[in-house]
Amino acid sequence: MRSKTFWLLLAMVVASLALVAAGCGGDDEGDDAAGTGTGATTDEGGTEAAEQVITVNWGTEPPSLDPGLASDTTSANILLNIMDPLVKLDDDLNSVPYAAESVETSEDGKTVTYTLRDGLKWTNGDPVTAEDFEYSWKRTVSPELGADYAYQFYGIVGAQEYNGCDPKKDKCAALADKMAVNAVDDKTLEVKLTTPQPWFVQQSAHHSFLAVHKPTVDKFGDKWTEAENIVTNGAFTLERWEHSSAIDIVKDPDWRDADTVKLTRVNGRMIEDGTTAVQAFEADEVDALLTLPPDETARLKETAEYAQYGALGTYYYGVNVDNIPDVKQRRAMALAIPRQSIIDNIAQADQIPATGFTPEGMPGYEAINPDSPWLPPEGDLEQAKELMGEVASPKENITLYINDSPGHREIAVGVQAAWKELGIDSTIKQQEFQQYLEFLGPPPNKDVDSYRLGWIGDFVDAINFLELWTCESGNNSTNYCNKDYDALIEKARQTEDNDARYEIYGQAEEILFGEDGDMPVLPIYYYTYQGLERESIKDSFELNLLDQVDLTKVVVTE
Amino acid sequence: MLKFIVRRVFWTIPVLLVVIFLTFIMMRQIGGNPFRQSERAVPEAVQRNLEAKFHVNDPWYQQYAYYVKGVFTFDLGPSLVVRGRDVNDIVKTHFPKSIELGVYAFLFALVLGVPLGMIAALRHNTWVDYSAMFVSNVFHAVPSFLVATLLIYFVALKAGWVPTSGWTSWEHKILPSIALGFGPMALFARLVRGTMLETLQQDYVRTARAKGLRYRRVVGLHVLRNSLIPVVTAAGPLLGFIITGSFVIELIFNIPGIGQNYVDSISNRDYSVVMGLTVLLSVIVILANLVVDILYGILDPRTRDARS
Repeated sequence: MRSKTFWLLLAMVVASLALVAAGCGGDDEGDDAAGTGTGATTDEGGTEAAEQVITVNWGTEPPSLDPGLASDTTSANILLNIMDPLVKLDDDLNSVPYAAESVETSEDGKTVTYTLRDGLKWTNGDPVTAEDFEYSWKRTVSPELGADYAYQFYGIVGAQEYNGCDPKKDKCAALADKMAVNAVDDKTLEVKLTTPQPWFVQQSAHHSFLAVHKPTVDKFGDKWTEAENIVTNGAFTLERWEHSSAIDIVKDPDWRDADTVKLTRVNGRMIEDGTTAVQAFEADEVDALLTLPPDETARLKETAEYAQYGALGTYYYGVNVDNIPDVKQRRAMALAIPRQSIIDNIAQADQIPATGFTPEGMPGYEAINPDSPWLPPEGDLEQAKELMGEVASPKENITLYINDSPGHREIAVGVQAAWKELGIDSTIKQQEFQQYLEFLGPPPNKDVDSYRLGWIGDFVDAINFLELWTCESGNNSTNYCNKDYDALIEKARQTEDNDARYEIYGQAEEILFGEDGDMPVLPIYYYTYQGLERESIKDSFELNLLDQVDLTKVVVTE
Repeated sequence: MLKFIVRRVFWTIPVLLVVIFLTFIMMRQIGGNPFRQSERAVPEAVQRNLEAKFHVNDPWYQQYAYYVKGVFTFDLGPSLVVRGRDVNDIVKTHFPKSIELGVYAFLFALVLGVPLGMIAALRHNTWVDYSAMFVSNVFHAVPSFLVATLLIYFVALKAGWVPTSGWTSWEHKILPSIALGFGPMALFARLVRGTMLETLQQDYVRTARAKGLRYRRVVGLHVLRNSLIPVVTAAGPLLGFIITGSFVIELIFNIPGIGQNYVDSISNRDYSVVMGLTVLLSVIVILANLVVDILYGILDPRTRDARS
C-alpha cells in the first residue's frame, strides 16, 4: 500500500492500543490506596498527632441545617456535632443525658422531665434555657414551617392537632399553647405524652429535637443557618459554608466539655460522584468517605482503609397481597430467594441476610427476630417448588417494580431468576425515583405485584419498623391489613417495660413471618454502611447504626 | 443593524413565555412530589401545609402567571426542596462558576483548535495534516466524561500535578476546562481547516500572491478572517453544548456550578428552581445566538445589507 496510508493506519492502531491500555492499566495500582496522609499504620493507642485536622467527604450538600427542616443524614451528622442534644446515644444505643443533666419519666410513663445542666451557652453568650427547647419543638410542629419530621412529635399531647391546623382557616396560635411541652423554669422541660412511649427519651436524641436560637431565627428568617448568621451551642461551630462546595466546622473552645474534644477542625467536602470521591481519597485530599460507589466495592474491600458498619435498615421486596392473594405463593417466593448468594455476588457489602423485618442491632433483637422458616439465608428452592405446587391458582406473570438507583436492577435480576425456577415469569419495571414513589402510593397502582424498597430507622426502637405494616400506615404499599397485627402494635405502644415490649414485637414479627406468617413483604438483607477512613483516624472514626459520626470522639493518631 | 438588534431583543419575550409554558407543562406531566425526597411518606397535614405555602395546588393558570411574574421581576421564588434558599441565591452563587468553566473551555478550544486547523490546512496532505485530523477526530468522538476521568486518573492521581476535584484555586481549573474544551477544540480545528482549504483556492488569494504580497500576510489577513466565519457560526450552538456538557464535567470534578443544582432539582421536582434555571439558560442561549449573528454581520459584509 502507499506509504502515507500505511503510516496513517499504524498511527491509528498505536493510538487505539494506547487508549485500551489506559483503560485497563489501573488494576495493579488499586491495592495501594493508602496515601501518606497524616500518619502511618498505628495500633490502638497510638500517639496523638500534632495536627488534629481532618477532611471528611459528606457526599452531598446538606439541604438544610435547620433542625426543624433537616431530614437527611448529612444534615443530621453536621447538626449533631454543632448543636448540643438533650440526650445522646452511646455505643449500645442507650440514651445518655448530654445537654440534659438528668431525664426522668413519671410512674405512668406519660410525663418526661428533662433537667438541663448548668452553664449551657449559645455561641453568642446567651444561656441555653428550657424555653429554647420549648420554642424549638413547637416551631418544628407548627403548620407554617411544614416540617417533614413533625410527625416525630405526635406522641406529645396536642402536637398532632397543632400540626394539622390549617393556618388559613383557624387560629393556630391557641393550639400551640395546648401542645404539652413546657419550660417549667430555665432548667426544666416538662413533656406530656399521649400514651406511655418507652422509646420517647431515646427518640429525643434525633436532630429534630435540637434547640434553635430564637433571636437569630427571628432576625435572619430563612437565612439564619448561613455561616455568618448561625448561632449554635455544640462542641463545634460552623465556620464556613460554601454551598455545594465546602463546609468547615471548628472546635468551640468555650463549649462545656471542650477539653475532651481532640479535633480542632473538620473540613467538609461535598463530592457527589462516587468515583471522584475515591480518587480524592487516594490523592490524600480527603480523610474519610461515608459511602462507596458499588462498582469499586470489590477492589476497595481489600485495602487497609476500608471500613464497614452495621446499619439500622432493611432492604425488602413488598408484595401486593391483593394481586397475589395466596399466602403459599408468597411464602414460596420468599423461600426461593438465595439471600446469601445475592449478598456475596451482587450486593457485595457483607450485608446480613434478613430473617425478619427488624434489623440486627436493634435492642431486643434476640427476642424480636422470628428466625423465619420462610427466610432461610441460602434460600430453599426444593421446598419452594413443593410449596408452589400446592398453590391452587398461582399468579405466574408478575411485575417487579424497582427504582433507578444503582444496584437494584442487579438484585432484581437475581430474584427474577430464582422465581423463574418456580414457574413465575417476572417482568422488571424500572422507574425514576419520584414517579416510582407515586406509583407505590399507597394504595399501590394496580399493576404493581411486587416492588423494592428499603426502610432506614429513625430511632432505635422496633416500633419504627413494625408500625409500617399497620392498616393505616402511609408507608404500607402492600394492601396488607390485619386487625390482629394492628392491635398488637397498639399494645406495644402502651407497654413500658422493655423486655415485655420486645416480646410483643416478637409476636408481631411472628404474625408476619412465622410458620403461619402472612408474608406481605419479603425481607432480603439488613443494610451495612461502607466507607474509607485514613489509618490515622480509623480507630476513632466510627459510624453508629444510624449513620452518624461523633466527631467529639475522633482523634488523629501518629 | 440597530433595528436588527432591537427586533431580535423584542422577539425574546414571546420565546421566553413559550419556554416557561413548556417547562411548566412538562414538569407537571412527570408527576412526583417535591416534598417527598425519601421512601418515607409525608404526613397528610404536612403535605397540605407545604402545598399551600408553595402554591403547588393553585389552578394551572395562576401558577403560570406566578412564574411569569417571577421571571420578569427577576424574583425567581424560593426553592421547594432546599428550604431557606431562593432560586436567586442559587443563581448568584453557582451560575458564575458555570460561566467561568464555560469560558475557559471555550478559550481552550479556540486557542488550540484554530491554530491546529490552520496548520493542518497549510500543510495539507502531509503527516502534520493527518495527525492533526486524527487527533481531532478522536477527541470529537470520545465523550467528555471519559476524557475527564482519564485526566483525573493520570494527571491528578498518578502524577499528582493538580488536585483531583473542586474549583477553588487556579490549579483546580485546568483539568475541567481541558476536559470540557476538547470536543469543541476538535470541531474548531476541522471547521477552520475545511474553510481555509477552500479559501486558499480562491481567486483573490491567487491575485494577492501574484501582486507580490507576502504569503504570511495573505494568510493572516485575508484567508484567516474568512475562515473564521464558520467558527463564529458554530460558536452559537456550541455554547449550548458547553453549557449542557458542563453538567457532567461539574459532577465529575465536583464544581459547584448550576449543573448539579439543575439536574438534582429535576429529580427532586423542585419546580421553582427548574423553572428559574431553564429560563436563565434560555436567555443565555438566545443572547449567545444574537451575539453570534451580530459578529457574523461584522465579519461578513455580504450579509449586512441583507438584514435591517
